[in-house]
Amino acid sequence: MGYAGGKGLNKAQDSKRKAARSAAAEITLSDHKVLVANRGEIAMRIMQACRKLGVAFTAIYTAEDAASGHVRLAREEGGEKSLFRVSSYHDANELMAVADEAGCTAVHPGYGFFAEDFRFARRVAKRDRKLIFIGPSWKIIRELGDKINTKRLARSLGVPTVPGSDRPIYDEMEAERIAKSVFEFQEQQGIQRPLVLVKASAGGGGMGIEEVYDPDQFRSVYRRIRNYAMRQFKDEGVLIEQRITDFNHLEVQIVSDRSGTNPVHFGTRNCSIQSTGLQKRIEVAPGFAPDELEYTFNAGRVLTDIVDYSLAMARKVGYDNVGTWEWIVTRKGEPFLMEVNTRIQVENGVSARISHVHGKPGVDLIAEQVRIGLGQPLGYSQADIATEGVGMEYRIIAEDPDNNFTPWVGRIERFQWKDQPWLTMLTHVPRDEAYEIPTEFDPNLALAIIWGKDLDEVKARGLDFLNNLRLEGRNGAGEPLKSNVEFLKANTGRILLF
Amino acid sequence: MIDISALLDEIKASPYREIVIATPHTGLVSFAGLKTGDKVLGPQGQWKEKPGTQIATLERERNPKPICAPEKGEISVLHSELEGRFVEAGTPLAVLRHMLTREEVQRAILQKALHLFRAPERAKYYFTPEVDKKIRASDAHSVAVRDGMELLIMSRMKREVPLHYTGPDGVIYAVYFKYNENMDTGAPLIGVCPQNQLPAIQDVIMRVQTEWREKE
Repeated sequence: MGYAGGKGLNKAQDSKRKAARSAAAEITLSDHKVLVANRGEIAMRIMQACRKLGVAFTAIYTAEDAASGHVRLAREEGGEKSLFRVSSYHDANELMAVADEAGCTAVHPGYGFFAEDFRFARRVAKRDRKLIFIGPSWKIIRELGDKINTKRLARSLGVPTVPGSDRPIYDEMEAERIAKSVFEFQEQQGIQRPLVLVKASAGGGGMGIEEVYDPDQFRSVYRRIRNYAMRQFKDEGVLIEQRITDFNHLEVQIVSDRSGTNPVHFGTRNCSIQSTGLQKRIEVAPGFAPDELEYTFNAGRVLTDIVDYSLAMARKVGYDNVGTWEWIVTRKGEPFLMEVNTRIQVENGVSARISHVHGKPGVDLIAEQVRIGLGQPLGYSQADIATEGVGMEYRIIAEDPDNNFTPWVGRIERFQWKDQPWLTMLTHVPRDEAYEIPTEFDPNLALAIIWGKDLDEVKARGLDFLNNLRLEGRNGAGEPLKSNVEFLKANTGRILLF
Repeated sequence: MIDISALLDEIKASPYREIVIATPHTGLVSFAGLKTGDKVLGPQGQWKEKPGTQIATLERERNPKPICAPEKGEISVLHSELEGRFVEAGTPLAVLRHMLTREEVQRAILQKALHLFRAPERAKYYFTPEVDKKIRASDAHSVAVRDGMELLIMSRMKREVPLHYTGPDGVIYAVYFKYNENMDTGAPLIGVCPQNQLPAIQDVIMRVQTEWREKE
């Protein structure tokens, strides 16, 4: 189900693009060395992408992560000065010191940590010994990382956005005022059970978010989130928004080279199956299946619209790397822009899995990100991209879905699965030895990406994979491992259904 | 109660501990010119505001960071081969043989005398804001705890849950966790002294003060 959304470029853009291309043709990837400033699964994918491109790399790790697969991969596959132990992944000085010592020319932040930190990206690009930040330029991260700015930009282009506070709130009185008005607004709209979302402005990934149904409860929830935000993010700012409960979470994968003039999209994803803490658990590409399922709205039209809106914003800001536009789509089929993630995402692999460029399968969006990040031109246009079949990703996590998805901590003793041509397993958990889950980070164990020619096939293969998965372990008290495998099984049947 | 004399004898048999001084982060090492066998001092001054003897300098991103002795002692190992080298975080630079002080002995013995409330999981721990405020305002001894009271916040993988104290009622006599530091499962978090045992505990302290001679 190909989608031809590319609009003809005007002449000015075309000449700028040509100039950029002739300069970029000089870029030799093998002159570069990338600092992989992340851990676990994403660090491994970045290292593998670098190897594929012939780019050298240097990895880092902390004491807690000594047994992680990314450390082993760096030891086995890295060249000289390819692995350093640092005090923290959060310490920019550590990353810069290692980059200099190892002779790196670029930094890949992965996701999380410094991925959306414009100050870090700016420092990397402006320090005496300059490095390339593999991500959008710092100005774009600053512009789109700021939610109010994104909202303003979206509105200026006629892109619909979610109602609510448009900046972090630091004052309790003001917070209460906004909450009151959001409650009243929903009552006027005839919403049965009005709901306000309180979230840490500096948070992300579903952390530091609570829902309030009762206006009298608002103050205590606000204070709790504010204190939490202060402890975890050193910023008391809190956002207050209307919470739309009945929606699907969609996103659009954008890719654009350093010219910033020719963004393309790699289709849509549906990430509606989430934990109660609003963290994604199953992601599917494409975002809806109008040919196979019944929707109460024109689903094909919604996909076209959100792709067009996203591309329009990318063009407007001169977006110059990979990024994701996140959308919520209501039951009536109304899309609202939620935010822009100016980084590679965990689930980029499902889009890559179903994509073909110039008729060839096996797209690697992280390799594309590294390549264009280092300055190479994209080398293809929207017309060269097609998709085939359905991709689905399971996030396999040590957690207890029956108990509010509480993380489970302990030792993984057995982790085995059946290799299949339609299965890609991404994991930093060793298959051949026991692995102690570090408590410093989320207990994500693996990503399983499954491909099928249609929805029925991908679901059947998904269940086949989960049924054959062996995942066992024990914690300090001798209790058996808890995982979300049953949750994934139970939810496979409803993917892409509204 | 515990047998203080036996404990003291046990400690006297091996009255020192080895402290490994490791780099807190990456950087370029230059040593401060000490050699094996040299005596060093820990932090000095009324508020321990003067840092201990400098062992080395660790330079990173043009910031030189002095690496100082955390305690008084004698240098037993010095990794001088690292001079001028870029090192990873956690690289040992020196080993210090440190004679136990009266306070450390007292702390060790108190850990056996007090009721210890232990970490149920490997996690970071914080006092609840109310308790934290009280401790800041005066000190830990002013906080009375009772069974079932919401005392701590346990933070793991960025998720926070309240932790209720279990054990005898009493006052917090010792705090064993540090802000933002991971505590292993079973590590003591606080030492609680029941009100009626306060005199006995004071007695323990008195005995250590009189019976422990600090060695130079």
